Amino acid sequence: MSAVLSATPPVLAAIGLMLVNGVVLIYMLRKVLGHLHLRLGPMHVGPKGIVQTTADVLKLLSKEDIKPNGVDRWMYVLAPVIVFVPSLMAYAALPFSETLRITRLDTGLLYTFAVLSLVPLGVIMAGWSSANKYALIGALRAAAQQVAYEVPLLLSVLPVVMIVGSLDLGEIVAFQTGVWMGVVPRWFVLLLLPSFVIFMISALCELNQTPFDMSEAESELVSGFATEYSSMKFGLIFLSEFSNSFVISALAVTLFFGGWTLPFVPESILVPIAPIVFVTKTYIGIFVFMWIRGTLPRVRIDHLMNLGWKWLIPTSLAWLMLVGVVVKLVAPGGVG
Amino acid sequence: MWGKGIITGMRITMRNMLRGPITVKYPYEKLELPERARWAVAPTYDEEGRPKCTACMACIRACPDHILDLEVTTREDKSKHIEHYSYEIGACMMCGLCVEACPFDAIEMSHDYELARIDPAELTYALLAHVDAAPAKRARPAAEPKPDPAEPAPAVPAEPAGEEAADE
Repeated sequence: MSAVLSATPPVLAAIGLMLVNGVVLIYMLRKVLGHLHLRLGPMHVGPKGIVQTTADVLKLLSKEDIKPNGVDRWMYVLAPVIVFVPSLMAYAALPFSETLRITRLDTGLLYTFAVLSLVPLGVIMAGWSSANKYALIGALRAAAQQVAYEVPLLLSVLPVVMIVGSLDLGEIVAFQTGVWMGVVPRWFVLLLLPSFVIFMISALCELNQTPFDMSEAESELVSGFATEYSSMKFGLIFLSEFSNSFVISALAVTLFFGGWTLPFVPESILVPIAPIVFVTKTYIGIFVFMWIRGTLPRVRIDHLMNLGWKWLIPTSLAWLMLVGVVVKLVAPGGVG
Repeated sequence: MWGKGIITGMRITMRNMLRGPITVKYPYEKLELPERARWAVAPTYDEEGRPKCTACMACIRACPDHILDLEVTTREDKSKHIEHYSYEIGACMMCGLCVEACPFDAIEMSHDYELARIDPAELTYALLAHVDAAPAKRARPAAEPKPDPAEPAPAVPAEPAGEEAADE
């Protein structure tokens, strides 16, 4: 019982973070996309449209919960939950600072990826149970691309794991503190740039973000697997999408940009502001995702599959082998 | 496409972002219309606020859409009274031929472009109603004010020629 009680506040905090993130990120997305396109974005509700998302959330909450005829009832109701819960679970291992995290896991990296790979299951359930051809096509596309790109995504983080010798996200961050030769931050992005590039491409695909948003493809598939969903069920799917982009960006920061640490900043100043540094870095990552989203057109599905299976996987395998050999030569025993 | 194109695209969007939005927030801000803008037809008035229209019917004959209608009564002293001068904006194509046909500059293409109506009946409305038409002499542009009574015969053929030239 006490374990349940002690676990409740962090879980509530994670839910709170997720909701706030969702609201902030939707507003940010609309503003950033607007300004990238020489537009203004939301302007009317509140100063500079700042409470627009809150109004949208209230609207979603107060809308009628429509269940179309012919849906597979239980799957239809369960699917948003199955999409939402893994997104929430993924917050568990994120290290916001040395001490601030929901739980310390020795296999934090593996856990996060394992949990995120449950999302396609909910997506397929949503698409299948909707009894709608667009939803089904969207769901199958989403599943196909998420399954295809999970492989390079995992392969791209393996070099980091090989060098650090741990799956604990905290230790991966700790390994990146300090500087090389007095000037260069010990960030993995500088050491393992190809890994980072593969990670970014696969991450965009995992998130179903433009240029890989075939699963939603507004111009072809209405709203993809979420077509038949309305009111807060749609809200949950949407929220989980934005939350996933936060988690992936946080992972990118943790793995490649030194997590909560900053080079050249002494420990005494860094410790109190560590969570702020982490969240700021994460938001910069999300901004880059949005920047890409505002720039690139959608890739065709066969091009996407070609890129994944014929280029990213072989490249990441070759890079993995190269890094493995170098690690073995430089630091015998470093692999573990 | 996969390498340089992406970088170029990203550079362009970032430049756009730094340039700032070009949106005009329309109902709150309005741009100045160019002088030649042609919107709803509107009557013009002289300095004393009387309509310049002489009820000569030139605009009604010129209108290709037959949307102008002028109902006029002539009094015994030959002065005219405009009962109503109606205009169907819903069918107007803003060609401006009526304005060009008017010898007295009594109508113009106004700059009123917010023409949406809630009630279809309002799509036809009166430009002028129940006013005295201007006598042709008063409304005519005072090109040759003095010689008019002295030699009326040559003045009449000279003027249409001058107006046609001005129209072109």
